Amino acid sequence: MATVRRQLFQDPWEFRESILFTAAAVLAGFLIQIASAGKGIPQPHLPFNALFLALLAVTVISAGLAFKNNPVVKWLGGIPLGLSLILAIALLSLIGGVVPQDTGATGSIAVRFGLSSIFSSWPFALTVIFFLVNLGIGLSWKLVPFKMQNLQFILFHAGFWIALSCGIFGSTDLQRLIIPVDEGKSGNIGFTMQGEEPHQLPFSVFLHEFSLEEYAPNLLLYDPATEAQTNFDVHKGLTTSWKGSDVLVVDYLPSAMPTEDGTLKPVASKGLPFVKVRISSDGRHEEGWVGVTLPSQKPVPVKIGNLLVLLWPGNPKAFRSAVTIQGDNGQTLMANLEVNKPVGFMGWKLYQMGYDEKAGRFSKLSLIEAINDPWLPAVYLGFFMIMAANVLFFWNGIKRSNKA
Amino acid sequence: MMAIDFTTAATAAMICWAVGALLGIASVKIPALKMPGIILAITGTAVLGVYIAWYWNFLGRPPLRTLGETRLWYATLIPLVGFIVEFRWKISWLKYYCMGLATFFLVINLMHPEVFDKTLMPALQSPWFVPHVVVYLVGYVFLAASSTAAAHNVYLGLRSKTTETGSMVSHYLAILGFVFLTFGLIFGALWAKEAWGHYWTWDPKETWAFLSWLAYLAYLHANSYKIDRNKLQWYLALSFIVLLVCWFGVNYLPSSQNSVHTYTQS
Repeated sequence: MATVRRQLFQDPWEFRESILFTAAAVLAGFLIQIASAGKGIPQPHLPFNALFLALLAVTVISAGLAFKNNPVVKWLGGIPLGLSLILAIALLSLIGGVVPQDTGATGSIAVRFGLSSIFSSWPFALTVIFFLVNLGIGLSWKLVPFKMQNLQFILFHAGFWIALSCGIFGSTDLQRLIIPVDEGKSGNIGFTMQGEEPHQLPFSVFLHEFSLEEYAPNLLLYDPATEAQTNFDVHKGLTTSWKGSDVLVVDYLPSAMPTEDGTLKPVASKGLPFVKVRISSDGRHEEGWVGVTLPSQKPVPVKIGNLLVLLWPGNPKAFRSAVTIQGDNGQTLMANLEVNKPVGFMGWKLYQMGYDEKAGRFSKLSLIEAINDPWLPAVYLGFFMIMAANVLFFWNGIKRSNKA
Repeated sequence: MMAIDFTTAATAAMICWAVGALLGIASVKIPALKMPGIILAITGTAVLGVYIAWYWNFLGRPPLRTLGETRLWYATLIPLVGFIVEFRWKISWLKYYCMGLATFFLVINLMHPEVFDKTLMPALQSPWFVPHVVVYLVGYVFLAASSTAAAHNVYLGLRSKTTETGSMVSHYLAILGFVFLTFGLIFGALWAKEAWGHYWTWDPKETWAFLSWLAYLAYLHANSYKIDRNKLQWYLALSFIVLLVCWFGVNYLPSSQNSVHTYTQS
């Protein structure tokens, strides 16, 4: 018996209908994007985005359950549409992964089509909303009636729904403000990355001290004749041979300052590294001090024989700000802010962000970033549900292979 | 001195794998050669394992930062997957591909010895560093093996010799890889919150990690919808290309100019 090929839009709908629908959604998204002159999607804040999401969740789940046997709802919550939408999100992300984001010139094609802000563009938003509908309906079928064997499916899909929806719709309520503070002063004004109008924060940050630690400097040997160079991490007693010369680090002062008579005096903090180098070549010896210059200055090489010897500053190892944070409600907190070690205060998180790079270790300025994200707990709930689903997967997988 | 040590270790490993593979192939005719072949192949991997341990100690930090260092881990771990698959499912062809892939990674490292740098920038000094990278590494190892298995299945398919176990191997490796990819992605997000202030900023590396995750998510759904397994072997074989772009291709894309994942600072 010859198989009769199903007509387009003849029940049950499958991949062709799904791909057409998805393509139409993406196309519509681009048309709205162009029609709205690249303004992008409306960005509702709390409580409106939360209301919209709650409404979406309730509608999708109840529609999925109430019209379980309706062919259109079956298709809306099915894998073919889900797959098409996943591929559409992947393709739109591909644009975002290739076209530089948030940098396009006004009026350029990338800006008008929303390509340079793809993740807040209409095509992306529409695709994600349809994907949430698809995922939600599929989820509703596994939720009711609840069965233990569906737990992994529920955790993964519900976790993904929550993380994706709250991450995207909650991004409008994310506040990231940079507070510049000088040593001995306090600041309570934050600026956005785009440097728009200043925002008053509900607390102030007083900077006691900014300090920067560097890795050991690099000793750079340079031969101007051949433009060859080599470098080493400096430590006292370092010996090496290069181009027929023997190099020895006689002394290494990690932190010192030159005095008025030209000698070097070690200081506990805020000094510069210096090394005393001896170079021997063809029975001749030469010895001299080489120091690191500030990042803003041009390094001064020391010429020994036909070699130039430079001391290159090490990369920053750690930088931290000793601060006192004082809230408008009278609450205070003393803390050390450091990269990777943010501090929480009144629902905000404070991060060590940067410093005056021209001044390097002598910077008196610290840039502190204050971040407030009311949606974070919801997104993390989604993350942990997905991870729990993964742990269950291992557990079930192991149990199954034991039975086998 | 570093370069010499790596060259020695890499060469020793590659010789062990090559001889081990030859003995393995010869053991079809002379079964007595089977055991020495397996032992030699495992020795090759063990040499690299010892080298990594020594190198970690020498650097004073986990050797997981540069692309060359991650390739070293791959070269060590991919053959291991091949050995485990042989042990568990009695499928011996996968290990040859795995050793070949590992040799390829070692050769890249031999041709591009990287400037050796012990420093770790402040953002990378975090307890998240090791779990994030290790989980990704294991995930990529499984997916590389899955892709290799799928490519072998495609080859068999073209000669009309497909087997049920063949597509099963590529399928299970893909599932395992996907689970690790998911953990890696979420660990990365949790770390980003601590280091950069937000869990997701559509940084090019994040975007590409998300893309590769979606590629395998799509595979799993296509598979559960009973799409022809032979077509899916093509898909699985090619999916690894997305991972490769994410792994080292991102640095060359125009979008990477502001990425926090390009560690080559001025």
